[in-house]
Amino acid sequence: MSNRQDTQLLPPSLLGRLERMELVSRKIFRGRLKGERKSKRKGQSVEFHDFRNYVPGDDLRLIDWNLYARLDQLFLKLFQEEEDLHFYALIDASESMNFGTPTKLHVAKQLAAALGYVGLCRADRVSIQALGPMGRQAPALRGRASLWKMLTYLDGVDSGENVSLFDGVKDFALRNSGTGVAVLISDLMDKEGYESALRMLIGRRMDVFVMHVLSPEEIDPPLRGDRRLIDVEDGDSAEITLNHYALQKYQETVKSFIGSIKQFCAKRSIAYLPVSTETPVETIVTKYLRERGVVR
Amino acid sequence: MNLVPALTNPLALATLALIPVGIIVLYFLKLKREPVEVPSTYLWAKTIEDLHVNSLLQRLRRSLLLLLQLLAVFIAFIALLRPGYRGESQGQARTVFLLDNSASMQTVDRNETVSRFEKAKQLILEKIEAMSDSDSAMLISFNDRSETVQAFTTDRARLRDSLERVMITNHSTDILGALKAADGLANPRRSSEIADVKDVQVADAQPADLLIYSDGRFQTVTEFSLGNLKAEYIAIGTSDVENLAVTAFSTERNAERPSEVQAFATIENFGKSSVSTTATLSMNEQFLDAAAVQLDAGEQTGLSFLIETEDAATLSLALDHEDDLEIDNIAYTGLSPLRNVSILVITPGNTPLKVGLETEKTAKICTTSFLSPSYLQTDEYRKRAADGVDDLIIYDTCSPNEMPATNTFFIGALPPPMLVTNSENPNPPPTASESNTAQPTPPTQPPAPAPENSSATVPPVEGSDADAATSPNTIWRWATPESSVSLIDIERTHPLMRYLELFSLLIFSGRGIDGPPGTVELVGADVGAVLAIAPRAGFQDMVLGFEIISRDDDGNPVTNTNWYAERSWPVFLLNVLRHLAGAADVTGAPSYRPGETVRVRLENAITSPTVTRVGGAPVDVTSGPGGTLEIIATEIPGNYRVEDESNLADLYAINLFDPQESAIATVKEIDIGYESVISADTTIDQRQEFWRWALMAMLGLIAAEWWVYSRRVA
Repeated sequence: MSNRQDTQLLPPSLLGRLERMELVSRKIFRGRLKGERKSKRKGQSVEFHDFRNYVPGDDLRLIDWNLYARLDQLFLKLFQEEEDLHFYALIDASESMNFGTPTKLHVAKQLAAALGYVGLCRADRVSIQALGPMGRQAPALRGRASLWKMLTYLDGVDSGENVSLFDGVKDFALRNSGTGVAVLISDLMDKEGYESALRMLIGRRMDVFVMHVLSPEEIDPPLRGDRRLIDVEDGDSAEITLNHYALQKYQETVKSFIGSIKQFCAKRSIAYLPVSTETPVETIVTKYLRERGVVR
Repeated sequence: MNLVPALTNPLALATLALIPVGIIVLYFLKLKREPVEVPSTYLWAKTIEDLHVNSLLQRLRRSLLLLLQLLAVFIAFIALLRPGYRGESQGQARTVFLLDNSASMQTVDRNETVSRFEKAKQLILEKIEAMSDSDSAMLISFNDRSETVQAFTTDRARLRDSLERVMITNHSTDILGALKAADGLANPRRSSEIADVKDVQVADAQPADLLIYSDGRFQTVTEFSLGNLKAEYIAIGTSDVENLAVTAFSTERNAERPSEVQAFATIENFGKSSVSTTATLSMNEQFLDAAAVQLDAGEQTGLSFLIETEDAATLSLALDHEDDLEIDNIAYTGLSPLRNVSILVITPGNTPLKVGLETEKTAKICTTSFLSPSYLQTDEYRKRAADGVDDLIIYDTCSPNEMPATNTFFIGALPPPMLVTNSENPNPPPTASESNTAQPTPPTQPPAPAPENSSATVPPVEGSDADAATSPNTIWRWATPESSVSLIDIERTHPLMRYLELFSLLIFSGRGIDGPPGTVELVGADVGAVLAIAPRAGFQDMVLGFEIISRDDDGNPVTNTNWYAERSWPVFLLNVLRHLAGAADVTGAPSYRPGETVRVRLENAITSPTVTRVGGAPVDVTSGPGGTLEIIATEIPGNYRVEDESNLADLYAINLFDPQESAIATVKEIDIGYESVISADTTIDQRQEFWRWALMAMLGLIAAEWWVYSRRVA
């Protein structure tokens, strides 16, 4: 991996801004290690959480002696535990992502890197994985120093992992039993459908974000005339006469496709974030994702 | 809208109708699709499923390329139907186009860029283009003569070619010949006399439209009936014109001072406004004089110029004024050179005649041969007379068997009778009682003095074997017996009699003369005419009724008159040389109209004459018998020089000089026979062709289709 490649994924100007950000989880999860996030566990932080009756065996240091003086009863003072957050970025590395200028895969890697770096800066446990066999080699990262590892992994992610969305997510779910924030970065153009994959993530009780990456060429194809369309993933072909009417029909289909995803996500509390590859990553992360509550 | 199908064959039409079907079929069978990679056909497949619901209709409805192709074919189909708009449909299927190509059609009217002739051709061309396949037309051009350029045909290409061949001329106009040419099939004649009950019409009448493209500048035609011809006069040009014309231009030498020449010109304003300009006279292409001309509309004026020249010269008078018709703005004339004439004198001996013909002045202009009457019997004479080698033959007291092919002067003798056939002679031959007065002079015999004892009031002439076919009205004869003569009158205005004072003459014996019709009495006496001149088939014969030198009984010469002692004798002989032998032409060179055949009589010594237009090219000439030259290349106005090895032999000029042509204001109504034909509006009956526009639209559509296609493929 070259430095030039690093800066392509995460420009230095962006790094500075990312350091001041923080990943937002709409749910509170149990972490594994001490961290900076509220945990479900009661623990050692300075933030008061609750009182409870003393039962024998409790740590006497936690008894609130002031209350005992007033009420003559033993109460334990519970504090909020702060643990780390598990952040998963799942990159769809199928061949269809290798499309557009810049490619959707590149934008997906940039987004994952940016969000991952935010997590690294906040001592979260960050795992960026490409769906498919590449995902198994993905390291679990923690701490700012792991940026280099993360970028190395991302640089190794290449298109051609033609696994279906469901298979990829299933593989991920089987390998990672923990909960946390999962961001699926994909174009969702899977002929078997995206629904089962998203259901599986929800089933793992993860806070799921779907970043739907589409290139402008997919939204408004610059194609006219009699064409034979060849699917780069499976070689499937479709003959079509591309006239105004057909294109209009296609755009209606795209609109309907996006609408159905939105609806599906809304019903299941999945945050759906459409992303166009023509929008710079800086804008997406610092403005767009911030507005939608992914980061703050 | 009127459609004239260019394709009438049903098979061709059916094939044409199959083309759109073929295009649609080919469109659907078109297998070549440009392969293009897409990230996924997932969404496209959904689109195609939707499209398949009404795929065929959608393709037909939405494919711009197909629509453009079909539209292009449709427009081509329309173009093949020759769509056009015609204000009025023609009444007849047969049309006769009469195209005026006379001089006045050269006019370029104001607000026009082309001449009337070109405009007329354009209008005819439009008519030809508007013809349907079944229409036939005929094209006749007319000026002072008519020419059937193209007989009836349905072939538009031939009509167009024929029309292209018609050229403008400088001729005057006579429409009658053209009308007669157009008349043939429309009004077939009967086989024989009118009112013959058995007569049948030889052919069915074929009515036709007669379209006259002219400015109407021709004589009204009275002796013509249109019959089945439906005449339509298309007036070319306007009546608001401007034209100043030279309508006459001639020169005349002063008879007394031959070096002094007067040139006369008539200038006429045929325009609608007054004109002020100058007229420039040039001699031998050099500026000589100029005169101011100020003329109101319709007025004319005369100009005269005095020129000093003894030589032959060419003159031109140009109006320095630009108007609608140019050809009449310049006029030409010439001063003919003095000619050297050849004279043959047949005389038994006539010293006064010989002295008179050999003076210093006459020697300059003539070559004289004196021969005795016996020469008349030789073959050499007969050939000489028949060829017209001499310009004048003087028969002194003798007469030939046949009149020579030249001018003659008989002194004391009569010309031989002319032979005419019975059919041409309306009068019966003279009876015996009349024959005394009708006897011609016997050939070869000098007229002997009348017998002294003759009791007849009119003395018979010796040798009374009158030709039975001879008419008394066509021959020369003695009107009175021989007697002393006292002169009474002289025709002083005749060129031959100029400067003569004859009343002091003494004539001892002479006779009055009766000549053939057309005889002009030059000298009248108490016995009648004693000197007369008469025309004969282009020549002139002059007869003197008394001898100059008589013979006494012994055959010795005695003088019959004292004329030879008078000053008038050499003057008279000089006049004879000048005017009868043709040595001098004091009236200047003759002028002919364009297209007229010019006949020039040249000196017999000239063997290879050439004719050149002054400032122009040589002209082809045809030498005729007897030194006459026939020139038919007379189209271009100008001065023409007849030369013999660079020596000027004669001059003539070609000028329009036709007020009918110069008055170029277009006539609104013409009369043909008893019918008036009013000018038709030339704009309403024009067919506007749209097929060219349709073809251009088709080409545009094909270009658009190609553009759309290349945009899609790119």
